Amino acid sequence: MALLNQFLKNMFRFAPLIFLIILITPLVLVLLSLFGEYNDNWNHLYNYVLPNYVVNSILLILGVSVLSTILGVGTAWLMTNFDFANKSWLEWAVILPLAVPPYILAYTFTGLFDSYGSANELVKTLFTLDENYAFFPNVRNIFGAIIVFAFTLYPYIYLTTRMAFINQSRSLIEAGKLLGFNNWALFFRLAVPLVRPALIAGLALVIMETLSDFGAVEHFAVQTFTTGIFRTWFGMYDLNTAMQLSSILMIFIVFFILIERYERNRMSFTYAGSTFKKTSKKKLRGFKSLCAFVFCFSPLFIGFILPIIELTNWAIFYPSEYFFSTNILNSLFNTATMGLIAGIICTIFALFINFLNRFGGGNFLKLSSQFLSLGYALPGLVLAVGIIQFFSLIDNNLTKYFLGFSLVGSLLGLVLAYIIKAYALANNTIESGFQRISNSIDDVSLSLNGSKLKIFFKVHMPLMKTSIFTSFLLVISEVIKELPATLILRPFNFDTLAVTTYIYAAEERMYEAASPAIMIVLTGLIPIIFLSQLIRDSRPGKS
Amino acid sequence: MKRDLLVLKNISFEYESDKEILSEINLSLKEGEIIGILGPSGIGKSSLLRLITGLEKPKTGEIFYNNETLCGEKIFVPPNKRGIGLVLQEKALFPHLNSLENVKFGLRGSKASKEAQAIKFLKLLKAEKFAKTYPNSLSGGEQQRVAIARALAPEPKTVLLDEPFSSLDTDLRRDLRNDTRDLFKETNTSSIIVTHELEEAKVFCDRIYKLENANIKEIF
Amino acid sequence: MKNINVLSTLLALSIFTNFVFLSEVNIYTSRHYDSDVMLYESFTELTGIKVNIISSKSQALIERLRSEGSNSPADIFITVDAGNLWKAQNYGLFRRINSKKINEIVPKNLRGENNEWIALAKRSRVIFYNKDIYSKADLQGLSYKDLSSPKWKNKIAIRSSNNLYNQSLVASMIAKYGESYTENWAKGLVENFARKPQGNDRAQIIAVANNEADLAIANSYYLGLMLSGKKGEKQLNAGKKVSILFPSQNEEGAHINISGAGIIKSSKNYDNAIKFLEFMLSEQAQKHLVENTYEYPINKNVEPSALISQFGLNFKENISKVSDFGKFNSAALKLMDRVGWQ
Repeated sequence: MALLNQFLKNMFRFAPLIFLIILITPLVLVLLSLFGEYNDNWNHLYNYVLPNYVVNSILLILGVSVLSTILGVGTAWLMTNFDFANKSWLEWAVILPLAVPPYILAYTFTGLFDSYGSANELVKTLFTLDENYAFFPNVRNIFGAIIVFAFTLYPYIYLTTRMAFINQSRSLIEAGKLLGFNNWALFFRLAVPLVRPALIAGLALVIMETLSDFGAVEHFAVQTFTTGIFRTWFGMYDLNTAMQLSSILMIFIVFFILIERYERNRMSFTYAGSTFKKTSKKKLRGFKSLCAFVFCFSPLFIGFILPIIELTNWAIFYPSEYFFSTNILNSLFNTATMGLIAGIICTIFALFINFLNRFGGGNFLKLSSQFLSLGYALPGLVLAVGIIQFFSLIDNNLTKYFLGFSLVGSLLGLVLAYIIKAYALANNTIESGFQRISNSIDDVSLSLNGSKLKIFFKVHMPLMKTSIFTSFLLVISEVIKELPATLILRPFNFDTLAVTTYIYAAEERMYEAASPAIMIVLTGLIPIIFLSQLIRDSRPGKS
Repeated sequence: MKRDLLVLKNISFEYESDKEILSEINLSLKEGEIIGILGPSGIGKSSLLRLITGLEKPKTGEIFYNNETLCGEKIFVPPNKRGIGLVLQEKALFPHLNSLENVKFGLRGSKASKEAQAIKFLKLLKAEKFAKTYPNSLSGGEQQRVAIARALAPEPKTVLLDEPFSSLDTDLRRDLRNDTRDLFKETNTSSIIVTHELEEAKVFCDRIYKLENANIKEIF
Repeated sequence: MKNINVLSTLLALSIFTNFVFLSEVNIYTSRHYDSDVMLYESFTELTGIKVNIISSKSQALIERLRSEGSNSPADIFITVDAGNLWKAQNYGLFRRINSKKINEIVPKNLRGENNEWIALAKRSRVIFYNKDIYSKADLQGLSYKDLSSPKWKNKIAIRSSNNLYNQSLVASMIAKYGESYTENWAKGLVENFARKPQGNDRAQIIAVANNEADLAIANSYYLGLMLSGKKGEKQLNAGKKVSILFPSQNEEGAHINISGAGIIKSSKNYDNAIKFLEFMLSEQAQKHLVENTYEYPINKNVEPSALISQFGLNFKENISKVSDFGKFNSAALKLMDRVGWQ
């Protein structure tokens, strides 16, 4: 019995280690390629194409940062400090664009604004213009890409800066007013610097998602690292050079991760111990109220309502028989299955790790957990590259000989990618759930002869029901949206909703793309609704 | 002469690397005795209790309880095996269970016997009225009664109390204090209570220690 | 092969077991036409041989075949574009196809140099023009080489260099004219782009229909598909506005590419595979194929679909080896990068 206990104890200590190794190896393999051989293709890329990728990536980052900051901080500031028409539902509705992955917005944009797109057709009919006249400018370029990313990702900035604004002490603002600051000055010289950490944390998220995207930039024919990696791998059949490109992208992104971490820690210090005072809201009327409304409504419209309209438009053109075709139902089933599996594994593992942490798991465990959470920021494409390398290694030396099947091309690679990507979401949710359970509860439970396991199942779990459910939902929504890793790692005849959407869109079969796209958005809405509930509950003045 | 139930020998404890909070503490608790530990906030009283329950490990020293070594050179009995009850200032009732289920938590045996035992102690603490009520609907004083009932229900030989009455107002405080003391004496339960109020200690305890400068000395 | 149960999917896809109870042939194909399914069924009816299909993108299939090695259950690999066939051949995946019947039907330039693979259908990469603006006489004799002349500045629509069809076209230019010439040609061509490459082949044709460009370079069968009405009214209307010019008729002939197949080296059903390929080249199958996909048949006794033959039938074809497309693919890609063909 004692031996069994010992074994279990050691297993608990080693399991996270093993998990960590499995999750890190793909990434290490990718990075290692930097130290390997650089073949002919690399020189070619370096001379002709790499500069393009770098320049485009930088332009994207700059453009998206500026635009999403204006949208995110602007809406957050307006909503926390003013009352205006329709504000009560705008306050949470403004995050709805999070349910639309960038590539879907990209597809609807081209459907609308291509020279023969629906928006142009509408303008032509309304104003009886020439057949060849295109009112809206071409969107299939870097400007279109910037707009797409800014309008789907600004909610991250809205969420972080909104909390920061709410936590601002009223007396600070009043002090500013006494110093003669008008509203603009208050905003730029006081409010914005105060929420800098929150802004940067949100911005880092936005940039990481922008750099990771593949579907939108490909559709808009913007050459970036992701399209380059894809092309080198599948066009030139050169996995090695693709890995080297991936490493560079990874380094870019790690940079942003570090910024995000740093600022997030600073955020918690800023608000430690600050007493919250309900900020009084200035009521806007008339023209000012209208302006505020338009400013806050526009991003919602462009980032969510417009794509929904266009998608519905397409769906109507190709009714029922395509909407629920076997192909799409299969994709739906596959997506749901993958979401469930990833959700269960991530949540269980997050529970496990955080539970161990709670009883003093030691620094190593804490570090591992932090590290595992990095997976979220990794581009799906880079993950796929690493996993294929990893599995190939195992295949060539192990499974093929002894077990007679190969890991490459199996469902395992896909599941692994989802877990790496989504673990952070599960971990953060479960972590905050545990934090809400005071340690005194653990103390008294122990004094009541409760073993740690008993405490976990009888005390922690019942109290964590919402967190567990939320964690599950967040992982599922992440799996549903994921595109590049799925494209590469999926087994034969295994499509998800995201892949099906991509395939149809790539063939410009937009009508057929509507069905899976709508399903993605609808399922993506579910966690957003929960998030919006949190927003409503966190309104100033509510306890 | 009543025997020593709990003995602390040369216990030292430090929080961060060089601040020694407790230095060579010696303390003894006899069977059926109620002793108090006095001292201002932050001095280490709670740490002393946590050492006794096993929620912390001392730097040096030994703890003996009921003729067994709880904590020593090579021995450390984990908190859930020590059989020492704990009542905290923040009550720490399980929010997802009602009072009855809270009290039943530490009990073993058949469903019926657990239920009977729990109700017995709720009655003793005059809390049976809200057996089915959930903690968030109870007042501070009512919660504390349930917390004490919960700690006593497994019939431990010793119960530690960490400022259990401080968040209650005077009248409630007095009533609960008296009820608790009576109950302890009736059941011959030993107890250590941590408090920062001398008057309360005088009324509640048989002996009082004072914790000062990481050292302890007996007063009264 | 619709696996509903996830557990069995997990296992089955990783452990591809061979149940040989019927005579069968296992095909990995990158062709994604629903009409092919009927062909497979016809084959089974005729011969009693069961046809098992796995379809995916060509690259994925090739990678899979490579990693499966001699354990692969595949008998046949079908794909589009000779470049892909060459890649598979280069990895040593194919076994020589020994069939007199097949050799008689498929001309030598449409087979692997050692019969590693054969063509099943043909397509041409042609020039599309707007009938309202140009007449056939206007463009007569237009060659691929002419496309780089400044006369066509801002007038040409073609898709991205990422696409294999374009790479094969450039590869064939390199094979015939050498890299240096081709690079100059490509440079001129890029300067003539009406817009940055975007969209697929059909998008280029539609651009010409909408007067966004004067000439589009795309595969011939798309016009058939558009005119068939199967792809909707917009495409039908656009298709009605354009016509096809077969380039380089006074020179080497129009660029020809193929859908083709090869037999996998480790195939355990070689004879069934031969039977299948012979079937695909039979008049019955070829007719069905071209009626649905608007490609050109290999079998000389079969006519292409009327929808596509109306644009020209006995045009001069470039009869150089399609196996060159793969050989020069890498050079073509890099060349396209150098000239800024996005």
